[in-house]
Amino acid sequence: MTEQRRDILDMLAEGKITAEEADQLIAALDRGRPSVATASDLRPAGKPKYLRVEVDTTEGGEPGRVNVRVPLQLLRAGVRLAALIPPQALVKANEELGKNGIPFDLTQLKPEQLEELVEHLGDMTVEVDQPDAKVRVFCD
Amino acid sequence: MPQLVTVRVQRPSRRLIRFWLPVLPVALVFSPLLMLAALVAVVACVVYRISVLQAFVTGWRFFCALSGTRVDVHEGRSAVLVTIR
Repeated sequence: MTEQRRDILDMLAEGKITAEEADQLIAALDRGRPSVATASDLRPAGKPKYLRVEVDTTEGGEPGRVNVRVPLQLLRAGVRLAALIPPQALVKANEELGKNGIPFDLTQLKPEQLEELVEHLGDMTVEVDQPDAKVRVFCD
Repeated sequence: MPQLVTVRVQRPSRRLIRFWLPVLPVALVFSPLLMLAALVAVVACVVYRISVLQAFVTGWRFFCALSGTRVDVHEGRSAVLVTIR
């Protein structure tokens, strides 16, 4: 039994989720397993160079596809550029985020932390599967 | 440094629009405007107490890192493709 499956069953035993929700979570876990393996199989060996965002949708019967490729170098440069933002602007941005229900303090975010985040993006794969849309974010 | 920007726009029952923008010649043509933008940037840096040199170096790095960017959007029979090489 995997750790995630045990967590779901624990939550069910503790009454945090219903049996139906547990069933859905386990089904999602089973669905997710082969697709994650597929994503990592597709990733070429070596250091990733690009952040890829792929979105497949079928809205109103018409298929739509978005395929964005951003060099990771651009993200690193963007992080350095963001480090130049004056503190006054960050305070204003914090206020606006707070107004929109996102209590996030941008002044606490250090450029080194962001660079570390970009460095480890290569290990990340996000896949969202919905009946009418599929989103995949990964690095290659 | 990016050399070429390719834009392709396809709309239903319209001609395919495709053009290539060589970055350096276009930058040379718009150099007076670029100089003006640089001047505004310097003033903004001074006002907000940001190192002008650091801002320009970082901005240049950002510009150079644009190479390899690709945005491809398809919606039904319409499509837009932008690539920076």
